Amino acid sequence: MSEKRRLGKKNIAIIIIAVVVIAIGSVLAWYFIMVPAAPGVTPRVIKIGYTAPFTGPAAEFGTNGWRGISIALEEINARGVFIKGEKYTVEVIRYDDRCEPTEGVAAVRKLILEDKVIAILGSHCSSVCLAIAPLCDQYKIPGLTIECAADAVTSPGFEYYFRMRPSMGLIAPLITPVIIDKLKPSKIGFLAINDDYGRSFVESFKKNFERYKVPTVVEQYFERGATDFYAYLSAIKAAKPDIVFYVGVTPEGALILKQARELGLIPEIKFIGSEEMGEYELVSLAGKEVVAGTYAISLWAPTPEIRELASKVKQKFNAPMHYAIVFGYDALHVLVKAIEAAQSLDPVAIHDALKKLEHKGLQGNIKFETFEYEGKLFMNQGRYAPYLIRWTETGEKELIGP
Amino acid sequence: MVSRNKSNINSFRMRLFYPRAIRFLPIVVIMVILITLPLYASSYIVFVAAIALLYAIVAAGYDVLLGYTGQLSFCQGAFYGIGAYTSAILTVNYGWSFWQAMPVAVLFVGLISAIIGYPALRLRGAYFAVTTFFLAHFVYLIFLNEVSLTGGPLGFRGIRPPEPIGPLSFEGIANGYLLILFSFIIIFILLRMLVNSNIGLILKSIAQDDVLAESIGINVAAYKLLSFVISAIVAGYAGTLFAHFFGILHPTTFSWFLSEMVVIMTLVGGAGTLIGPILGAGIVTFILEFLRFAPEIRYIAWAIALIAILMFEPKGLMGLLKRMGVR
Amino acid sequence: MIDSVILTQVFNGVILGLIYGLMAIGLTMIWSITDLPDFSQGGIYIITAYVAYWAITLFNVPYLLTIPIGALTGILLSVVFERIVYNRLRPSGVLSCLLAAIALFFLLENVANALWTPKAKIMSVPETEVSINLFGIVTSYHRIIILIVSVLLFIIIHLFIKYTKIGMAMRAVAEDREIAELMGVDTRRVYIATWALGGALTSVAAILVSPLYAVWPGMGTLPLLKALVVVILGGFGSIIGALIGGLILGLIETIGAIYVSAAYQHGFAFILLLLTLSLRPKGLFGRR
Repeated sequence: MSEKRRLGKKNIAIIIIAVVVIAIGSVLAWYFIMVPAAPGVTPRVIKIGYTAPFTGPAAEFGTNGWRGISIALEEINARGVFIKGEKYTVEVIRYDDRCEPTEGVAAVRKLILEDKVIAILGSHCSSVCLAIAPLCDQYKIPGLTIECAADAVTSPGFEYYFRMRPSMGLIAPLITPVIIDKLKPSKIGFLAINDDYGRSFVESFKKNFERYKVPTVVEQYFERGATDFYAYLSAIKAAKPDIVFYVGVTPEGALILKQARELGLIPEIKFIGSEEMGEYELVSLAGKEVVAGTYAISLWAPTPEIRELASKVKQKFNAPMHYAIVFGYDALHVLVKAIEAAQSLDPVAIHDALKKLEHKGLQGNIKFETFEYEGKLFMNQGRYAPYLIRWTETGEKELIGP
Repeated sequence: MVSRNKSNINSFRMRLFYPRAIRFLPIVVIMVILITLPLYASSYIVFVAAIALLYAIVAAGYDVLLGYTGQLSFCQGAFYGIGAYTSAILTVNYGWSFWQAMPVAVLFVGLISAIIGYPALRLRGAYFAVTTFFLAHFVYLIFLNEVSLTGGPLGFRGIRPPEPIGPLSFEGIANGYLLILFSFIIIFILLRMLVNSNIGLILKSIAQDDVLAESIGINVAAYKLLSFVISAIVAGYAGTLFAHFFGILHPTTFSWFLSEMVVIMTLVGGAGTLIGPILGAGIVTFILEFLRFAPEIRYIAWAIALIAILMFEPKGLMGLLKRMGVR
Repeated sequence: MIDSVILTQVFNGVILGLIYGLMAIGLTMIWSITDLPDFSQGGIYIITAYVAYWAITLFNVPYLLTIPIGALTGILLSVVFERIVYNRLRPSGVLSCLLAAIALFFLLENVANALWTPKAKIMSVPETEVSINLFGIVTSYHRIIILIVSVLLFIIIHLFIKYTKIGMAMRAVAEDREIAELMGVDTRRVYIATWALGGALTSVAAILVSPLYAVWPGMGTLPLLKALVVVILGGFGSIIGALIGGLILGLIETIGAIYVSAAYQHGFAFILLLLTLSLRPKGLFGRR
């Protein structure tokens, strides 16, 4: 029984006032969040766009990438960017893509067409990267991915899309001989997240181990956000591999290791984690005892510069270190360096500068190369070598190889 | 259980005849704006408008099920996705043309919805809703795990826009958008005809009280199935359009979040009015886009607004307008 | 000797089933007494888990104590929602209430997302660390706690419903609200009691489960859906049904995950739902 009264004049007035208040409120919010400078905005601003997942299951990547970018942004704006003698500051406009291709495309379109950015950073999920790379080519705005792992992003690649870190197809061949040499497995297994990253990881490692005649005896996939791995681990236990690669993000990794220990898989079976598992966060989530003795692939080694960044991150955000922070940090520095090298705000010139750029980043030596590897053509792809580490009883990383 | 008290049909119809000419003016204006959009708006706006129109199509179809037949369901996303993937697979893997694949995809969606709907619709109210929830998730799992078929999380790429018909090309954002707009207009007209026909009356009577309807000789089960299939087909068709417009398919696009969004849009606009859900689609898309710069609070602000709407005007925007004496 | 792996999985299935059962009892009571399948319990699940997490990490509250704290939070949220939202919407029909419940769920999930970030948090609880071997079952103290707490709760609730005045009033309303009102039952108090109980059960379930898995904003969806399946399987309004239905689902999921498919493990609930609805829509112990 609903009330079917017509609204009296008073009610209509209230509604109109409410609408007006909301409208003014949103405009003000927009104003204060979007336009940090005073009206009569300073003209010398370089606008760079950033699309990343800030909500949804992949949200920690965007959040961490943003942390790295903000720290780099502070450093850059402290000294300023000089183009033809004029001093500029950098502004990074960020949008959430939820790790969803349609959102990423909308975000990038908005950045390019409405916000008029001259370069794009992002994204983190391969599915989104693949969707936005063609846009970079179409509008001739250079895009720099933070961390997409799938080969397809740069193979055969897009003229205007760049990647710093080696893709899955490049890591596997480099690290497989190290693993075989140090750990000597005869059978391997995989427990991976069921998304673009997890699947490409398994694909490339499987292939590379096959080359050394080491078969894969079990392959299990779990959904993002899964918390119950007992079933998967039981299946793995039954298949008896010597090594299990576990691929996902640190909370999943922590749970996997915990539950694996409960089921008695560790230390008989050696667990090697994907790059996330080479992060200190794994230790803080799972505890030193759980992680000790397990291995991981890491994209950066614990250098003094990284320790410095880690302490800044701790100070500013009270958060643990994460490779997305490193990549975000490097990415912005790389872009700005290219802008300075080009001495121009023209995206095409920046693109040319990126192609020739060499930069000693925190993750390694960054250089965008175009090459052929095992029959696949890669474009604008970085190629530094990854590391195999083992976690010690004290929660520190021990370098095993290469 | 579900009591719908709409103003009775006759007076609603009489109002339609009253200031007829003026009534059409806002629609004409909006149509003109939409049709000429690509001429003056950036492709970002055209893109967002296209996606909003797709949502509007799905929401309008869904309104037949929810607003007119009174069945709450959460699986529009699933049918949207099945339509999209089917058309994509047929065109990319088997070389069909869009104009062959699309009807087949739509029929396929209709078939699946009929098969599922037949047993499912014997359930009432919330039981049905929960089942559709699960269905949507199940279909999503299939999209995610059947990698050989759908590409799984690696995505399904390389979908081409529809082949040109004569001089009409559908390549590019602007043309794709116009195709979607055109589809939207046609579907809206068809649905409007359906809803105002005798069938529409029957559906409304089912929503009011299906036991009573059954007792006066209406084959309730058949009509429920009909409206379920119709809403599924509309969603499936929108899915094919989406696949060929966006070019890439990814399972996350079709998660239950999409179904939830459609329900919310229909609700916000006002279920049971056909126009309501369309407006709802537009409003929701607009607000979410507008709030894109504040990712963390985007959805909270949205959820609070939603609850406020529910509490103060359960009939959504259309209900509000009606109470204010408009229309 | 039966393989230890299978035995462990069966035990895990029982534990999981008990948790589903707890949540299902709350839901079935709310549903049968107030006519609303309360989706917002999913949101309450999430928030109370986080509250417990905060208690442990910020204030070093011992795990067992967080259970009553969480229960209080759950009761508070449930009752508040009932009084402020559902009460107002009831005249507009069940559909509106259901949509409001969904909106509240959505809201709570996003609040959790904003307050605690989307990254999953692990609730480190000493009781989970120690792995013990009981008759070939590999388990931990924590799971034993789950076992004991759930069984205790079941017994308490059963006694409560059967022997207290409010319990009887609740049963009366579940049977037939109008007649109950005519007989002088204060439906308002019954509703509040129902929601309080439901909220408490959901929160206890959430806190019991959290150390096993992780605490993250999306943690509420699947348990809610599964609990709904259990409600239907067990029979609308039946507490015993919820318990047994929960056990069935828990066992099917854990064993099916090994022998059939781990990727589709959440799909078993769906299949179970379809089977129930087509073969025996009343559920195992249902009356309506």
